[in-house]
Amino acid sequence: MKDKPSTVFVVDDDDAVRTSLRLLLKSVGLPVETYASAQEFLDAFDAERAGCLVLDIRMPGMSGLELQQKLNELNAIVPIVFITGHGDVPMAVEAMQHGAVDFIQKPFRDQDLIDRINQALEKDRENRDGLRERDVIRRRIGQLTPREREVLELVTKGKANKVIAGDLDVSQRTVEIHRARVMEKMGASSLAHLVRMVIEADRVAP
Amino acid sequence: MTAHSVKSRINAVQELEALLDAAVDAVIVIDHSSVILTFNRAAERLFGYQQHEVIGHNIAMLMPEPYQSAHASYVSSYLETGRARIIGIGREISAKRRDGSVFPAALSVGQIRGVNPPRFVGFIQDFTLRKAAIEALRCERDRAQTYLDVAEVMLLALDALGTVTMINRKGQEILGYTEQELIGADWFELCVPEDCRAERRARFAQELQFAPSTQTESHAPIVTRDGQRRLIAWRSTPLQSDRGTSVGCLASGEDITERAAAEAALRQSEALLRSAQSIAHLGNYEIVHPDGPITWSDELFRLLGLDPSQGPIGILEFAERFVHPDDLGIFNAAWSQAYANHKRFDLEFRIRRTDGQIRYIHSKGKIDPHPAGQLVTGTLHDVTDRKLAEHEARVGQERLTHVARLSTMGEMATGLAHEINQPLTAIATYAQAAVRMMDAPGGADAADLRDALVQIVNQSLRAGEVIRRLRAFVKTRTAHSEQLEVNRLVEDIRILAVPDARVNDVRLVLQLDPQSPVIAGDPVQLQQVLLNLIRNAIDATCEHPGALRELTISTRPLGDGVEVAVIDHAGGITDAVAQNLFNPFYTTKETGTGLGLAISRSIITAHRGKLGYRPTPGGGTTFFFTLPQLVGV
Repeated sequence: MKDKPSTVFVVDDDDAVRTSLRLLLKSVGLPVETYASAQEFLDAFDAERAGCLVLDIRMPGMSGLELQQKLNELNAIVPIVFITGHGDVPMAVEAMQHGAVDFIQKPFRDQDLIDRINQALEKDRENRDGLRERDVIRRRIGQLTPREREVLELVTKGKANKVIAGDLDVSQRTVEIHRARVMEKMGASSLAHLVRMVIEADRVAP
Repeated sequence: MTAHSVKSRINAVQELEALLDAAVDAVIVIDHSSVILTFNRAAERLFGYQQHEVIGHNIAMLMPEPYQSAHASYVSSYLETGRARIIGIGREISAKRRDGSVFPAALSVGQIRGVNPPRFVGFIQDFTLRKAAIEALRCERDRAQTYLDVAEVMLLALDALGTVTMINRKGQEILGYTEQELIGADWFELCVPEDCRAERRARFAQELQFAPSTQTESHAPIVTRDGQRRLIAWRSTPLQSDRGTSVGCLASGEDITERAAAEAALRQSEALLRSAQSIAHLGNYEIVHPDGPITWSDELFRLLGLDPSQGPIGILEFAERFVHPDDLGIFNAAWSQAYANHKRFDLEFRIRRTDGQIRYIHSKGKIDPHPAGQLVTGTLHDVTDRKLAEHEARVGQERLTHVARLSTMGEMATGLAHEINQPLTAIATYAQAAVRMMDAPGGADAADLRDALVQIVNQSLRAGEVIRRLRAFVKTRTAHSEQLEVNRLVEDIRILAVPDARVNDVRLVLQLDPQSPVIAGDPVQLQQVLLNLIRNAIDATCEHPGALRELTISTRPLGDGVEVAVIDHAGGITDAVAQNLFNPFYTTKETGTGLGLAISRSIITAHRGKLGYRPTPGGGTTFFFTLPQLVGV
């Protein structure tokens, strides 16, 4: 299915910065929406809309970091490019720890910002693709028997069949049979593939 | 009796009569029954009778009562008893003239021997004048005694041995002895302190040898009866007998103990004044302008570096020679104004001393009318040291104020950097957008491009304004006063305060009085105070999570003045903090200098205002300062 067009959401309390960003992004053909405060953005937020967030880290009222926290609480996956002033590196680090795509210091070269925005939009697409893949993986995991799920968990933790047999108090042969059925049901071509799928499935907590 | 003997007898009688007539005294001869036999010319003159009127009459006619009645009994008593009561003795009697007037007379009576019955001769002298003379003499003596006694000086006569022969009442008072105790006493033994007795005695012996009427003066102590030592100023003159031998000395003495003490005290206080003037570098003068006498204190010469022996100079010469050319204008203006109106003057000016040094002088004085012109009295006070110290203190204070301002700015650097960074970001972004629009295949939309350029200009100006404010705020400067609208002051500080508030997520609310009162003051210093209070309030708000993140800055008239308040809703001020709140170098902030409030308070005090704080109703603290309002502006 084809994605709806992605939008760059700009949130900055400074009129001039906001307006100039709108003009810049428009000039490179990116759809832009601007918001003067975090609350304004949050009020209009729609998780279904694709795009990325260009977010001023310091703002009166709700700050950029607080908005990030609120979006995380909503399981929103919109990638965030923070724009920061000088001396805001500690805040930027915190933002990165909470999943921001990148940050850029004001003032910035237009290309740097555009590159970061493009990366973020790419990330958003991946996220949305991943979301779809995750849905498939979760569905497959849902088709496993309880015993197979136990084996999956232990296998993806890197335990050997012999150890798993001991843990579950079954024969090593039984473990091998369960393991083969898990690989088949999950559609995994290798152990590495299986592990990646489990990580993918765990990425956003149910 | 022979003819010759008769003739010689007649001659003898004639001789006697001539003799009697020539006598100065009245001579009267009576017989035993008091009948007058002889009455000489002097008697005629004295009593006013002619010879023939009295000869053959009783002598009683020449006597007033009661002598008249008593006389007969005197004579008969003498004749009976032979006991004379008057004869050979002489006495003072009263006699009566022909006209009945009575006068005092001296009578001496002798019995003429060799005749029987006995005859008596009386010699009578008019005592009227003599009595008057004696009376006058006694008066004179009494008056002299009175003089001696009322004299306020001690009067003392000593004989050649130094024995007291006379001392007046004042002398007795001073010494504490009675006249009886003093007269006949050895002056030097009794009244001269032992330590100088020998010397005074030797000097006395010398003075006795001086010519009469030589006056010598000396100061010498005496010792009184109760042992007190008193200082006497003596004037003495030697006394000589008719034959020229010295018989003693007469001295007057004035008790100058108190006066000497007062003089010593005066000398001491003059010395004190001189040294006080020297210490204070304060000289005084008195000048009768233009041509009258001029008096300068010693210190005044020193102050100007003038040699006192060259004498003082008048006002005009002083102005010409000493007053600094740059200050001559104010000096002349003050002088001529005071001169014209007989006013006091009080001014400061610089002088150039004779050694070329420039000194600051504070001069005070007054001008009064004087018969010879104007009397100018005043002081010159060398206040150079004080001036320099004041200057130092002012420079120091300004430096400190500046440091505090820089420090405040340092604390706000993040916000200010942000405030400059925002327009720079906008400018860069607009410009880059413009370039991209121009590079786009269809070319730029002119309206979009224009919009971008206008914004670039606006944002440049915005950044420039922040920098201008910042520069004005942090540059070193000398304080000055100007008329300020208090609302304007608050508005102006906003551009510096808002960024700091924003980066700390605190909102600034202004509540400005619509009248916008006018005050006088230094704009930067007052903004510094305001900014300091805002900064503190922002910090307090940040340290108090959950506080309403809002500050109100208000202006309002209060009494005769204006109050500017910064109201926060943070945690308030604890007692421990309150105790040290205005102490320099006391701070509750990790990076604070502790200068902010101390300097803010001194700035407001210098503006004749007050800086204080009170709790904000509902929690938090309100810091405020009041300034006197300028009226009629």
